[in-house]
Amino acid sequence: MLSAIKKSFFSWVDKRSPRQSATVLRQKNIYILPTRYGWLMLGILVLILIASTNYQNNMGFMAGFVLLAVGFLSLFYTFRNLKGIEVRCLKSAPVFASNDAIVTVQLFNTTQSQRVGIGLGLSKKSVRYVDVAAESKSSVQVNLATNKRGLLDVPRLACTTMFPFGIFEAWSWVRSPYQVLVYPKPIPCPEPLVASNRGIEDGNTREKGAEDFHSLRDYQAGDPIKQVMWKAYARERGLYSKEFEDYVGEQQTLSWDSVAHYEKELAISYLADAVLSAEESQQHYGLELPQQTIATGQGAEHMHSCLKALALM
Amino acid sequence: MNVKELPITRSGVIPLLIIVQAIVLLPLWFFIPSWISATTIAILLGKYYMYRQGVHAPRWILLVVVLLCVGGVFLQFKTLNGRDAGIGLISLMYAFKLLEARSYRDASLILFISFFIVVTAFFYSEAIWMGVYLLIAVLAILLGLVALNSPQGAQGIGSLGKLSGVTLLQAIPIMVLLFFFFPRSSTPLWSMPTDTQAGSGIDDTMSPGSIGALHTFDDIAFRVDFDGEVPARSEMYWRGLVLSEFDGFTWFKDQHSPIRQELDLPMTQTYQYRIQMEPNNRNWIFGLEDLAEAPDGAYLFSDFTWNRRRQTTQRFIYSATAYDIDFSQKPLSELQLDRYLQLPTGSNEDTREWAQEQRQNHPSNEAFIRWILSYIHQNEFYYTLSPPVIEIDSVDGFWFDSQQGYCEHYAGAFVYIMRAAGIPARVVTGYQGAEYNPYGDYYIVRQSDAHAWTEVWLDGEGWRRIDPTAAIHPSRVEEDLRGDASSRDGWMEEFGADVGFEAPEGLLQNLALRWDAIQSFWSETVMGYSQDMQFGWLRKLGIERHQYRYLGYGLLATIILAGLIFGYFVLRSAQRLEPVTKHYLLLLKKLEKLGIPCDRTMGPKDVLQVTRATSQKTYAKAAPALKTYIALRYQQEAIDSTMLKRFKQQVSRV
Repeated sequence: MLSAIKKSFFSWVDKRSPRQSATVLRQKNIYILPTRYGWLMLGILVLILIASTNYQNNMGFMAGFVLLAVGFLSLFYTFRNLKGIEVRCLKSAPVFASNDAIVTVQLFNTTQSQRVGIGLGLSKKSVRYVDVAAESKSSVQVNLATNKRGLLDVPRLACTTMFPFGIFEAWSWVRSPYQVLVYPKPIPCPEPLVASNRGIEDGNTREKGAEDFHSLRDYQAGDPIKQVMWKAYARERGLYSKEFEDYVGEQQTLSWDSVAHYEKELAISYLADAVLSAEESQQHYGLELPQQTIATGQGAEHMHSCLKALALM
Repeated sequence: MNVKELPITRSGVIPLLIIVQAIVLLPLWFFIPSWISATTIAILLGKYYMYRQGVHAPRWILLVVVLLCVGGVFLQFKTLNGRDAGIGLISLMYAFKLLEARSYRDASLILFISFFIVVTAFFYSEAIWMGVYLLIAVLAILLGLVALNSPQGAQGIGSLGKLSGVTLLQAIPIMVLLFFFFPRSSTPLWSMPTDTQAGSGIDDTMSPGSIGALHTFDDIAFRVDFDGEVPARSEMYWRGLVLSEFDGFTWFKDQHSPIRQELDLPMTQTYQYRIQMEPNNRNWIFGLEDLAEAPDGAYLFSDFTWNRRRQTTQRFIYSATAYDIDFSQKPLSELQLDRYLQLPTGSNEDTREWAQEQRQNHPSNEAFIRWILSYIHQNEFYYTLSPPVIEIDSVDGFWFDSQQGYCEHYAGAFVYIMRAAGIPARVVTGYQGAEYNPYGDYYIVRQSDAHAWTEVWLDGEGWRRIDPTAAIHPSRVEEDLRGDASSRDGWMEEFGADVGFEAPEGLLQNLALRWDAIQSFWSETVMGYSQDMQFGWLRKLGIERHQYRYLGYGLLATIILAGLIFGYFVLRSAQRLEPVTKHYLLLLKKLEKLGIPCDRTMGPKDVLQVTRATSQKTYAKAAPALKTYIALRYQQEAIDSTMLKRFKQQVSRV
C-alpha cells in the first residue's frame, strides 16, 4: 500500500522533473515541508501559547507570536534559497563495476542573491552542502555506487536546503539525462588466455608506442603513468602525456572463444582484465566477441572501445 | 562526506551556542536560586574549556552530575513540581544538553528549546526590559540557527546574520497583529498551584513597626488615573483593610460577610478613577474613600473594603467610583457595637484607666476626640520611623513611655482610647497620598505611602475618618516624614495644612517620571491587555460579542493575505537577475521564437554558430548582440555601463 503510494508519488514527481541536462528550480518543482525541528518548534509554540493563556502572561504571548511569525517567514526564506538555481548535470566518466561513479553537478546562480547551504545527493538524507554566491556557480560531486557492468541511469538527485533556520526544508528532484558507462570489473584469469597471436607480419608499420618521443597531447584517462609529463604537471600547466612512436613488437587478439567455457559475467571480467594488462604492457590487441570484432589497436581510446564493447555485451 | 546534517564541529558553532545559551539564561540568573545559576554558568564555561581542549565529558559523569542536580532541586523546593522547581530543573537540563552536544541534532534541539527557556523568564517579570530581552534573545537564537545551517558555520554570521535581523523586524508587525487579534481567555485553562511568594504590601495584621517597615520600599503599589475631578492630596486615602480585633499587641482583620444586596445608604458620587494595581499576592484591593460598589471581579464587604475572589498575582486593572456615604440613617447593630468596642482584658490597663478618667471631663464624643487630638498635638509625641521597640503592651508602652511612633502606633492607640471611652472605633489601613506624573497625567502610589488611620462612629453622623498622625506638632515630625504628615486630613484646621501638588523638581525626578510614564503605558496597555480590553476596542470598531468568530476568520484571512503579499516580494527578489544575464536570456528566448535551436545550457559561441548555420538573416540581426555579450562576459573585468547599454539596445533590435 505504502510503496504503491510512494511509486505513484514519484511517477508524479518524475513527470514534473523530466530528464534534462539543465533544470531551473522553480515553484513547479520545489517541494517544502517543515523539518522535524520545525515540528518541534510548532510543539513548543503551542506549549507557550497554552501556558500564556493560563497564566495570562502577555510577554509569553508576544514570544509565542514572534516565534509563529519567524516560522511563517522562514517558509519563504527557505523556499527563496532554492528558487531560481539552475542545476546542470554533467556527463560522468566511465568506471569499473563496484567502483563509485562520480556524477558532477553544477549549481548556477544567475541571480543577485547568495544561496547558502545547498545540499545535493542521492537522497535528502545523504547530501553534500555547498554555498553558491550571487552570479556564480558551484559544483558538487555525487558518488554513485555501481555493481553491474552496462549503462547505469543516474538516479533522481535531491537538491535540498534548510537554510536559514532549519525550520523548513525545501527540496527538488533533478534527473540527469546521462548514463554512466560501467565497465566490467576486471578479474585476472586463472589460466593464460589462448591468444591468437599474429606475430609481426606488419612489423615495420609505425604505431604509437613507447620508444621514441614524438609529441605531447592532453592526458587521457588510462594513459600509462610513465608517459605523463610530470615536469609540466609540477608547474601547474596541467597533465600532458608524452606520445612516443614505437615499432610494434607483438599483437594479440583477445577472443571470446578462449573464455567461453566460463560463466558469462566471469568470462567478461577475464577479458576486461586481459584488455587492461595488454594496454599496460603496451601491446597491440584486438577483441573478438560473438557479435562484434574490434581490430587491433592500442591507446586509451582503443581500450575504451574494447571495455565498452565488453560492458554492453 | 555525504551527510544528512551539517557537523557542528565547523568553526565557531559551539562557542556561538554557548553565547546564545548565556544570553537566553541571563534574566533567569536573577530569579532562580543562586546555586542553580552558578551551576549553569559553570557548565557553559566548562563546555568552552572542553571545546578548546577538544575533549568531551564522559557520559557517566554527566549522568551523575545530572542526578545530583535533580536531587539538589528537590532539596531546595521539596518538590519537582510547580513553577520555581520546574524552571530551576529545566534551566539545569538546558545547560547540560550543551555538554553532550555532538551533532547537528543536539545543537538544533538546544536552539529550539531556547525559545521555551526565554518564555520561562516571563513568569518572573513582565517589565519593559523583558520586551527588549525577548528581541535580543530571539535574535541570538536566530543567529545561532543561521550559523548551524550554513556550511561556513559561525564565519557566515558576518554576511548572513543580516537575514536574522531582517526576519525579526518583519516578524514584529505580524506579532503585533496576532497579539491584538488572538482570542484571549478571561479565566485560566486549569487552576495553577500558587507559589506562595511574599508580595510586599499592606498585610491583614498591624503591630508596631509593620507599616513603618514598608516606608523604605519605593515599589509602586498602584497607579491611578482620574476621570475628571481629582481630589486634593490630603483627601487621597486609599482604603484597603479594616482591622478591628485587638489582642493587646496586634490588630487583626475580622471576618465580614460580603454585601450582596444593593446599598441602601444615601450617597453622592465624588470621583471616578481607574487603578492599575501591581500584584500583591493578596485578595484585597484598594479604593479611594468612601468605597461602595465593587469593581468587576471583586465584592464589597460590610466594613466597606473590597476583596477579590482570587489573589492578585498579576497586574489588575479596575475602574471604580468614590462616594460620599451618609451613614446617619442606619445606626450600628448590637453586634457591630460589640465588635467596635471590644477590648482585650488584662493588657494595656494603664491606658484604659487613663481614657476612662479623661472621659469624665469631656462627656460629648466630639469634644473627647478633639481633646485627645490636641493632647497629641501639645504633648511630646513624636512622629518617627525608628521608635523604641515595645515588647508587650503596645498601647501603654507608646502612650506613656516612648511617645514616639509611626502611623500604626497612633492609629492603634487612638482606637484603643476611643473604645475604652465607649466610642466605637476601628483601624483602617491602606495608602495615603500619591505622586503626580505630569507626563502620563496619572498618580503613583508607592509602598512607602502605606498608612494606617482610624474611623470612629458618631451617632447621627456615622463613620468619621480621623487621622491621629495629622495632629502631631510639625516640629516633632521626623525630617523624612514631614512631606507625608503635612498633607494629611487634619480634620481640625489648626493641625493640618492642605498642601497641593507641586510640579516635579529637578532633572532626575523629571526623567524618572517620564520613564514611569513609559512603564505605565507598557504595563497598562501592553502587559495589561486582556479579554476585556480586546472586547472593548472591538466594540469600538463595531464588532459585537456574538460576531467574534468572524474575527477569527478575519485574522486567518489577514495572515494568508500577508503571506501572499510577502511571498510575492520575497520570491520575486530571488529571481532578480543581474542585467546582463537578464538580457541574454531575453535574447535566447527571441532566437528560439525565430526558430534557432538554442537553450541556456549552450555557451554564447555555440549559439552564434547555430544561428549562422540556421538562418543568415537572423544571424545578421543577432550577431552584434551575441558578440557584445561575449565581450561583456568574458573579456571585461568590470561591467562597463555604456557597453551594457549598447547590449540592451542590440537585444531589443533582434
